[in-house]
Amino acid sequence: MSDFDLDRLGDVWRQQPDPAEMERLQKSAAAVARRARLAQVTDIVVALAVAGVVIFLVASNPKPGTVLIGSAAILVLLFSNIRLRKVRRIELEQLTGGTEEMLDQSIARVETTLRHIRFSVIGFPVAAVLGALFGYASQGRRILDAAQDWPLRSLLMPLGIVVIVGVMVFAVRAVRRGRKELERLRAMREAYRRERESSNS
Amino acid sequence: MTVMSATPGTAPPFETIVSDYGPLISRIASSYEADPSLREDLTQQIFLAVWQALPSWRAESSLKTFIARVAQNRSISFVTKQVRQGPVAELPDRIEADAPNPEEQAMQINEREMLMEATRRLPLPQRQVIILVLEGFTYPEISEMLEIAPNALALRLSRAKAALKTMLEGGE
Repeated sequence: MSDFDLDRLGDVWRQQPDPAEMERLQKSAAAVARRARLAQVTDIVVALAVAGVVIFLVASNPKPGTVLIGSAAILVLLFSNIRLRKVRRIELEQLTGGTEEMLDQSIARVETTLRHIRFSVIGFPVAAVLGALFGYASQGRRILDAAQDWPLRSLLMPLGIVVIVGVMVFAVRAVRRGRKELERLRAMREAYRRERESSNS
Repeated sequence: MTVMSATPGTAPPFETIVSDYGPLISRIASSYEADPSLREDLTQQIFLAVWQALPSWRAESSLKTFIARVAQNRSISFVTKQVRQGPVAELPDRIEADAPNPEEQAMQINEREMLMEATRRLPLPQRQVIILVLEGFTYPEISEMLEIAPNALALRLSRAKAALKTMLEGGE
C-alpha cells in the first residue's frame, strides 16, 4: 500500500460480497421489512380495537359518567397516536437531514430525557410519601388499620415496595446510559466544531 | 426492475433497493461497528430506517445519496447509544503492496479489512468523508450530503487521507 491512491482503495473497498453474504443480507432485509409492515398493521388494529371496546362499553352503559370516561379514553388514545406520529416524523427528519443537525437534536433529546428521568427519580418517592400523608390526613387511623389487614399487608405493600425499588433502579440505570450517550454525542459534536473551525482558519 | 428503471421520484421496491444497495449499507455498517453481532444489529436498523424513510425520498438527490445519508445518520446514532464501546480490533501488520504474494484474493480481503479498521479509527467528520469518497460519490454530492463548502470538504478530505495513510502504512 505504498501508493496511496484513493481510486484504487475505492476498488478494494467496493468489493462485492460473495453470494452467500448477499443472500444473508437479502433475508435480513426481508425480515426487517416484514416486521415493519406487521408493526404498522398492529398499530392500526390495536388503536381500532381499543376505540371499539371503549365505544362498546359506553354504548352498553350510556350514563353521563361512562360517556365522560369513554370520551377521555378516546382523547388519550388520539393524543398518544398523534404524539407517536410526531416522534416518528422527527426521527425521520433526523435520519434524512444533516449529521450536525442530527447531533444537535439528539443532544437536546437526551438532555430532555435525562431531565424527565431525574424529575421522576425525585418525584416518585415524594409522590408516594405525599400520597400516604394525604391518605392519613383524610382517613385518619382507619388507613393504618387497613394497612394491618390482608391483602394490603401481605400482598400489596411488598408489591408496592418492589415496584418502587424497580422503578428507582430502572431510572438510575437509564440516567447512567443517558449520561454516556450524552458524553459521546457532545464529543462528536465537538469533533465537528473543531473540524469546521480549522477549515475556516 | 432495477433502481435505474424506476420512475424518477418514485422509490423502487424495497427488495430492489436491497439488491442494489445492500452491499453499500453493509459496508457503511462495517465502517462504524467492529463487533460482528452489533454490526448485524446495525445493518438491520439501517434497513429499517431506509424502509421507513423511503416514502419521503423525492428525487432531489439520487437514491444512492439518500440511502448513504440515512445509513450514516443511523450508524452515528447507533454508536452513540452503545453502552460499551465496540471492541476495536488490532490493526493487522503492515501490508507491503510490492511484496510478492501468491494468494491474491486473501491479500485483497486482508487489505480490505485493514482499510475498514483504519476507517473506523478516523474521527467522525473525517470518517464520513472518506467513506463517501471510497463509495464513489462525487465531491459535489459529498458537499451537499454533509452540508459543507467545497473548500472545507477538500481540507477535511486531505486530513482524512493523511490520517488513513499513516495508519495503513504502519505509522500508528
